[in-house]
Amino acid sequence: MHLLEVMNLKKIYTTRYGGHQVQALTNVSFTVEKGEYVAIMGESGSGKTTLLNIIAALDKPTSGEVWLDGRNIVTIKEREISAFRRDHLGFVFQDFNLLDNFSLKDNILLPLVLAGKSYKEMISRLNRIANKLGIIHLLEKFPYEVSGGEKQRAAVARGLITGPQLILADEPTGALDSRATDSLLRLFNEINDEGQTILMVTHSTKAASHAKRVLFIKDGQVFHQIYKGSMSYEQMYQKIADTLTLITTGGVRHE
Amino acid sequence: MSKFFYAKLALNNIRKNSQTYAPYIMTCIATVMMYYINYSLAAHTGLSRISGGFTLKTILSFGVAIVGLFSLIFLFYTNSFLIKRRKKEIGLLNILGMEKKHIGRVMIIETCYVALISLSSGLLFGMLLSKLMSLLLMKILRFKVELGFEISFPAIRSTLMVFSGIFVLTLLSNLRQIHLAKPVELLRGGQVGEKEPNTKWLLILVGLITLGSGYYIALTTESPLGALSMFFTAVILVMIGTYCLFTAGSIGILKLLRKNKMIYYRPQNFTTISGMIYRMKQNAVGLANICILSTMVLVTLSTTVSLYIGVEDVLKTRYPRDIMIMASDDLNIQDISWEILEKHGKEPENLVDYFYYSLPIQQKGNQFIVNSGLANSAVRYRDLKALHFISVADYQRITGRDVDLAPNAILLYDVHRDYPYDTINILGREFIIKERLDSLETDGQDAMLVINSYYVVLSDLAFLEHVIEADASTSYYLGFNLIAEDSEIIRIQQEIRTALRELDSRITVDGLQASRNDFYSIYGGLFFLGIFLGILFILGTMLIIYYKQITEGFDDRQRFEIMQKVGMSKAEVKQSIGRQVLSVFFLPLIVATIHIAFAFKFIWRLLMLFNITKISLFVWCTMGTLLVFALFYSIFYLMTSRMYYKIVT
Repeated sequence: MHLLEVMNLKKIYTTRYGGHQVQALTNVSFTVEKGEYVAIMGESGSGKTTLLNIIAALDKPTSGEVWLDGRNIVTIKEREISAFRRDHLGFVFQDFNLLDNFSLKDNILLPLVLAGKSYKEMISRLNRIANKLGIIHLLEKFPYEVSGGEKQRAAVARGLITGPQLILADEPTGALDSRATDSLLRLFNEINDEGQTILMVTHSTKAASHAKRVLFIKDGQVFHQIYKGSMSYEQMYQKIADTLTLITTGGVRHE
Repeated sequence: MSKFFYAKLALNNIRKNSQTYAPYIMTCIATVMMYYINYSLAAHTGLSRISGGFTLKTILSFGVAIVGLFSLIFLFYTNSFLIKRRKKEIGLLNILGMEKKHIGRVMIIETCYVALISLSSGLLFGMLLSKLMSLLLMKILRFKVELGFEISFPAIRSTLMVFSGIFVLTLLSNLRQIHLAKPVELLRGGQVGEKEPNTKWLLILVGLITLGSGYYIALTTESPLGALSMFFTAVILVMIGTYCLFTAGSIGILKLLRKNKMIYYRPQNFTTISGMIYRMKQNAVGLANICILSTMVLVTLSTTVSLYIGVEDVLKTRYPRDIMIMASDDLNIQDISWEILEKHGKEPENLVDYFYYSLPIQQKGNQFIVNSGLANSAVRYRDLKALHFISVADYQRITGRDVDLAPNAILLYDVHRDYPYDTINILGREFIIKERLDSLETDGQDAMLVINSYYVVLSDLAFLEHVIEADASTSYYLGFNLIAEDSEIIRIQQEIRTALRELDSRITVDGLQASRNDFYSIYGGLFFLGIFLGILFILGTMLIIYYKQITEGFDDRQRFEIMQKVGMSKAEVKQSIGRQVLSVFFLPLIVATIHIAFAFKFIWRLLMLFNITKISLFVWCTMGTLLVFALFYSIFYLMTSRMYYKIVT
């Protein structure tokens, strides 16, 4: 069974005034297996953020289905959806989305607190993850006291702490410098090697080159995909770059 | 660029920011209106023709000053809030190429618009409503006269001057801020200083000490006179304490709560406690302001309502008879009075007349001694008493009681009921208090005295002579009621006065009916002013609450978005918001209620100066105003919190 199965997703936005319609997703289908590390690439406006929002249950599709671990998340009731997201999904955002009035520790613990876990369990989970991410010395600091890379590590820790089946990352390197980017991508590879499934949306070729598979989206459809297989990061990078050139110059689709 | 460009831009700015500007302009209009009304009433030409009008004028003029002062504070506060919200927009204009002098010009035009709108409509509404208010005033004062409608030019002039001054001041402070700021800072606008606040233990300590001493003064001050002299000290101490504890104390408590893992790491407390720490840092001063304003509303309304409701009681205590004659001897006062009554075909009812001998005296325990230095300030006021001596014969005659009094025994009427001893030593002679009287037909003079009066009924005439020799003043009191219309009683009283003054110019002739106008102009005037200022303070409270909610709404929007992204449901967000808003909102009201509770006894002592003697009246008035105020407060809470939800979600 696939961990994530996206079937014939379609999303049409209607602008508030005048009823002008915009088709963000035309027809998107793909699957993600357990333990995979998938990057979704596409230009601005290609519909990748809409896709991520629907998978994250933050938005509803116009038609189509999204199955996560055997449940269709499109049909989950509004009441249960927050708990479902908390338990099954972990999030990493471009702008970190850390709360300024919480220390890093409290930011990381937020999902567990909301889930009503005991303090003992929270702390043991926190220590494990903070150790792995190398942020144990930063836990008492506040977001405004640490660097961007450190913030993003804390955000990753927050995404991981509930032990989610799927990590959804939205441009995780978008606000980082090159060193912090390298270190975050290494971290993603490490946690993926330990079996964590990751779905990342990005338009950074470098970030995508670290994934095991890259999906290209154009005009609301999956345009193409590349498997990394045994390629090195450099070879993967070159291949992605070529594909992107092809897409932007309007080349023909090929498998 | 044409001149119209700036004018248009200024108009657009106001329109675009209407959510924050509309309440500001409304406040401006309301304060202008209230100032004008108050001033025009105080300056009304009709007042000088009314008896008691002068007192009323003084009270209303006092009100004018307070309204002016608070208008300045409120408008300044609101304006500082407005400019904070608009920094980003101004920064943008600056970066797009407008120089600071151009921005300054836009702001000047904006201020002119606001001033023009609020002054013109404020004055217009003021003129329309001043007639209504004068009717209300006359109704409260129970005056039968009607104040005509008049447009008061001194009031218009003063309003224009005061409020132009206020607008110029706010403009200057805005220009200064713009001038000092750098464009990048302006762009960042309100989003500076997100740092976690430190616990300021020193401030907490200062707050506890000042609040504690304020409360201590309020609880331990026994004499009305002491209350009067300590009033402002206590008020200022409590105010300092309130500010300190709201700013530092609240954060201290919240941080302690956060330290407790078992409490903090619970879903319902987690976001609330950390959210509150952040909120208190930004809004503690605003909350302290709300708290102090609420306290002021409650004190003003409860006291003035008590005074007004109690005025008839006060009148009856002060003037127990319709016509009261005070003289230093009886002469032929009775003959002259009865002659006049006969002419009107009236009989004296409830007649009372007696001699009494008064001695200002110093009390030390149960000892009463004449101190030659009474006049100098070495004697503490609370030790200064007035002793009035009445012979047992007179007492028996006026009460119809048969009292058997030994020479070493007395009857004591202790007006304030605070004499604890069983014996009394007057000028070195010890008497046993045989009985404490519940009431005595006095001439009501004691009600006017701040110092306590003791009436001593005694049988030892030799001792009475001794007292008179010790420089006691002799008074003759004659009082009676009449069955007649008020106006006729007043006419008769005036006739008797004229006749008796020919006899001796120091004879005073007072009366209940004749004095009613005077009393109503004081107590009613204060009541009117209380309502007026109460409305002003409520307006201020609402204004601060409104802006507080809006600011917090904009600040919190992002935080709640994030929380929803990481797994908080809408319901949980709503709950968390609800809990925070509720506690922040009602904290000032609760603290204000505590202030009132501690101040209760203190204010009661002050009311005693105004001859309010029924404590139950004051209890009910306080509870009533508290209830009404809490109701208004809650309604306003519901209104603004709905707005807050809308901004946040």
